[in-house]
Amino acid sequence: MQRTNFKFEVFKYSMLTLVAIFVLFPVYYMITLSLRSQSSLWSKSTLLPVDSNLDNYRAAFENTDFKRALLNSVIVCGTATLITILFSVMAAYSLVILKFKGRDTLGRIIIIAFLTPGALLFIPLAVIMANIGLSNSLQGLILVYLSFMVPLGTYLLIGFFRSLPPELEEAARIDGASRLQALWMVLLPLVAPGLVSVAIITFTGAYNELLYSLVINISPEMRTVPVAILNLSVADEVPWGRTMAFSSIAALPVMAIYFVGQRFVVEGLQTGSVKG
Amino acid sequence: MVVKVGRQKDLGSKKRAGLFGPTNLFGYFMILPAMSVLFFFFAYPLTFEIWTSLTDANLGNDAKFVGVDNYVKLFADPEFLTAAKNSVVYVSFVQAGKFILGLGIAILLHQKLVARGFWRAVVLVPYAMPGFVAFMVWKLIYNPDVGAMNIFLTKTGITDAPIAFLGDRTWAMASVIFATIWRGFPFWAIMFLAALQAVPKELYEAAAVDGANAWHRFRNISLPGIRPVILIVFMLSTINTINSFEAIWLTTAGGPSDATVILPVFAYKGLTTFQIGESAAAALSMVPIAIVIAIFLLNKLKKD
Repeated sequence: MQRTNFKFEVFKYSMLTLVAIFVLFPVYYMITLSLRSQSSLWSKSTLLPVDSNLDNYRAAFENTDFKRALLNSVIVCGTATLITILFSVMAAYSLVILKFKGRDTLGRIIIIAFLTPGALLFIPLAVIMANIGLSNSLQGLILVYLSFMVPLGTYLLIGFFRSLPPELEEAARIDGASRLQALWMVLLPLVAPGLVSVAIITFTGAYNELLYSLVINISPEMRTVPVAILNLSVADEVPWGRTMAFSSIAALPVMAIYFVGQRFVVEGLQTGSVKG
Repeated sequence: MVVKVGRQKDLGSKKRAGLFGPTNLFGYFMILPAMSVLFFFFAYPLTFEIWTSLTDANLGNDAKFVGVDNYVKLFADPEFLTAAKNSVVYVSFVQAGKFILGLGIAILLHQKLVARGFWRAVVLVPYAMPGFVAFMVWKLIYNPDVGAMNIFLTKTGITDAPIAFLGDRTWAMASVIFATIWRGFPFWAIMFLAALQAVPKELYEAAAVDGANAWHRFRNISLPGIRPVILIVFMLSTINTINSFEAIWLTTAGGPSDATVILPVFAYKGLTTFQIGESAAAALSMVPIAIVIAIFLLNKLKKD
């Protein structure tokens, strides 16, 4: 009995170590290569960190296009996230707490929109944005991003609102609060973890988005980070060290947010079952 | 779970308010912003796309109605048929891989562990990494000249010459599938872990008293307990995987030749050559699959 338990312990932790190597190796490789020059890559084929220096990072911070792309991404995703939270709270509150005709139908429309693959609509969205003069603009991209962020945010928040005790709003109203006061002072503080998780999940969703950004914002000064990194490659020639340095700069802050807010992300995923 | 959005017991349900009664109006007011977004950026584009797919729209001409011509052309186009076939292969293998890896790792994380929180955080890493970064890194790992995979294979003597994983028809699809599994399995693992943790402990204790072994406990308690979660995760993730433009575009761009072209990539390439009507038809050809999944999911959710 004792022996088999010990064997099982060894098995468990060796499997976990294998999983950790599988999961972490690409991150390790990204960082070590971001510290090497293209010539070092070609002359020394090794998986160890050699010839490390910060030249690629210096290049990133001197690259105005890339800095512009970072700023664009923050503006677009930040604004779209704020609007998403506002609209989603209103919609989820109304779908869960309020009673009105056609509510189930409207709820179903939101879920259908949530379930629609983004690749379905990029063609008409690109044409529509061009027709109303909003392609190649940050405003245009914000509007387009709302099309998948609002259904996602609403879907998640419906889960959080439904987890509240049903009598809560009623009790607040009996105590004399108006509907908006009850929402603002009683319900919202209780779904606060939901707001954090929606903020992280929708922000990263927008930040990672490539296809819409690729077809709608074509000019270099309106690019977002994914498109800027894609455009570092000329034809099939990829400047690997530089691409990995830019990628690290793009990825590490977002990954940090993810881990600081891990509790909320996991809770959000479990409440809503988002995607993967 | 969430689809039947309203509560059984509603405020004001006793009042029979008309369409413009105070509760109704406030409800419409609160949902109006979200609905406007969906009208202008979902319903309208969808209608527009269906219309476009029935015209000969391309850059600079007035779209003329051509009926189902685009669809007829599409289903005679060998590259479209390849894209459809590739989509099925890609999605099936990616989902099977994510399921096996996700379930295996969830079971592993469900054991008694020192620092379970730490291990769970490690498993989340690929999911936290932006997709566009993850797939650039995998493109690098697969690179025949400077990539880690080939350095490993040639240094250890497993192969003599480097393999062009993304440039060789035999390897390209498998390589892209593997990278997509890496990026996507954490969602499955985390969801399965949560579901396993929600299965009541008493069931296991009772089964242990009855003398059930580990396999029987898994087969008869764990698996039925997490079945609803498996279904939901499977469907949400399938829709997301059908959609994975970036996984392909950033690694192989659909190549070599058409070996890894999937439907979104096919539609995107059509748009860049301004065959708007045909591309719209190609994008819409993803709808039947999505609808089947959506109906299944809506019904499933309603039952729970």
